[in-house]
Amino acid sequence: MSEVVLEAKGLTKVYGDLTAVDHIDLQVFAGEVYSMLGPNGAGKTTTVEILEGLRDQTSGEATVLGLDLKKAYTKVRSKVGVLPQLFEPWDNLRPPEAVSYWAALFGRKMDMKEIKGLLEVVGLADKDKVLGQRLSGGEKRRLGIAMALVGNPELIFLDEPTTGLDPQARRGLWEVIRALRKAGKTIFLTTHYLEEAQELADRVAIMNRGKIVASGSPDELITLHGGGTTLILKGAGEDGIKALERIGLQGQLDRYDVQVSVPPLRRTKDVLADITRANIPFKDIDTKKPTLEDVFFNLVGGRLVEGVVKP
Amino acid sequence: MSRTFADFKAYGKSYMRNRSGAFFAFGFPVILILIFGAIFSTSTSKVTLYVQDLDGSPNSQLFIDNLGKTGMLDVKMVPAEVNLDDYIKEKSITVALQIPSGFGAAVISTFDVNITLKGDPSQSTFGMARGAVEGVASMTMIGRIGGSPFIHLNAENIGSTQFRYIDFFVPGMIGFITLTSPMFSMASVCAEYRGRGYFKLLGSTPLTKSEWLMAKILWYMVLMFSSIALMYLVAVAAFSAKVAITPLAILLIAAGTFLFTSMGMFLGIFVSNPESAAAIANAIGFPMMFLSGTFFPLETMPAYMQAIAGVLPLTYLTQGLRATMVLGNDVMAAVDLGIVFVIGIVFFVLAARAMSWKGK
Repeated sequence: MSEVVLEAKGLTKVYGDLTAVDHIDLQVFAGEVYSMLGPNGAGKTTTVEILEGLRDQTSGEATVLGLDLKKAYTKVRSKVGVLPQLFEPWDNLRPPEAVSYWAALFGRKMDMKEIKGLLEVVGLADKDKVLGQRLSGGEKRRLGIAMALVGNPELIFLDEPTTGLDPQARRGLWEVIRALRKAGKTIFLTTHYLEEAQELADRVAIMNRGKIVASGSPDELITLHGGGTTLILKGAGEDGIKALERIGLQGQLDRYDVQVSVPPLRRTKDVLADITRANIPFKDIDTKKPTLEDVFFNLVGGRLVEGVVKP
Repeated sequence: MSRTFADFKAYGKSYMRNRSGAFFAFGFPVILILIFGAIFSTSTSKVTLYVQDLDGSPNSQLFIDNLGKTGMLDVKMVPAEVNLDDYIKEKSITVALQIPSGFGAAVISTFDVNITLKGDPSQSTFGMARGAVEGVASMTMIGRIGGSPFIHLNAENIGSTQFRYIDFFVPGMIGFITLTSPMFSMASVCAEYRGRGYFKLLGSTPLTKSEWLMAKILWYMVLMFSSIALMYLVAVAAFSAKVAITPLAILLIAAGTFLFTSMGMFLGIFVSNPESAAAIANAIGFPMMFLSGTFFPLETMPAYMQAIAGVLPLTYLTQGLRATMVLGNDVMAAVDLGIVFVIGIVFFVLAARAMSWKGK
């Protein structure tokens, strides 16, 4: 088991009658991408800001890199990198100036070669003459990540780094995050994009209404909460439903196609063999594996669309 | 210290690349000094007093001469044969003096004599003329009691040469820009930093609040000294302003910048966006500009306004600058420096304590 770089026990944040973070426990291991996934208002940003030391918890404990967050906050903040939600760089500083400024705040003097190297990592090498205000949304976030990296942190918090970006910019940032993971950085990533968590995370914690409702690797979550593989019998129609009933399977009609969920404890290939033997009249067959979207639906009771839970 | 310098450098670059910031720091003061200088540089602070001498005696003439020697009045004669009331209306004169027939005889005897000041008492020039005339009349009276026909009044200039409006105006302008750039900018910067999440971002670095505050104060000091130097050079080159840059003036500018930067930070704590920051800074800053003797002498204001001016920090900065730069009164300037510095410390401590980079 890898070293624990971040741990929270019973972390709670209460605002009047609202419990924004409700007794959550979590552990993040060195070198992994840990993703906190949930809708807007689930408590992700409150949690991450407590863990960054930018907000005080009502109760509970948190240790970052083995240091108690409350007692050793000054030490902690020199060892972590932070990209806050909806990060905006300084309007009138160019990327190399912003990086150099941030490095100096962390007590590092970076020469131009180092700065350019860092900007290359985040894909901003050709933007060294552009003022912050003239960068695109995706470029601004990339600059934010570069700034978060200047202190050579062991742990990086990325709070919804791709929110509001177009799909191309989002995928570009994913590549940056993958590169950081490859370089051995530990990343705490909050997101409300299921696809993002599935693509990037080693482990995912699904958060809803202040609580972590499930956590584990995407595969574990899918196996436990995804509802199994679905077979789609193209053009099977009503006759297909009846034929399935004869071999003890339930199908759902979707226009002319029939969807069959592979029951728990049965293997897909065994079910396929039964269907073949039953002479069901289908033109083609597809399989649909469950995703985190199904996991989220099964756990929360709705689909996550742009940060909002929809029935 | 290196973090303070890094923040100072980054903030300074950002500030100077913002055209509005650069304009208010350098362009605006120069424009103001050019406009006000052009209007007032040739005029002195003298009040024009129209005098009609109905006596025509050597004593009345000597009285008129003494009015001129006060240095406060520019005496212009009105012909004895015209109706003074009509003359005043026709020429829109604010203040005129009528010396009656028999004035000369009254001065050397024990008779009473009435001299009449006519005009618009609501005008400050009327009050100034009245003060000067009463002063000369009192001296004339003392002379009579003492047996000598007249006390000859000799006016002497103390300090620099003649006191002109531009000389009065330059220290006022220095106080004015020491107030505006730091206070208005800082209130707005604090709101912007909160709104755009910069405080949280800075909170995630080893930079401390005090280092951040100090970087801003240092930046505004550099900015103010550069801006004031430029304005001073323009005032001297274009209008021959006679104001001295003294060590106390430099200390007062530094203390004033410290005070108004801290005050701006303090105001910025209570505002959520740059628009409301500008509104609050204007609501506080503009009355302070006009009530603190920046553009008009405090003495010409009503008593209740002078009382209000007494609680405004800009009053002490402007008063101290004028004392050391124009009047050469360093004792008064040192007292004002102490007051400005103490108020600055109060606002700095309040701002540092009340400002939070953490979320609630």
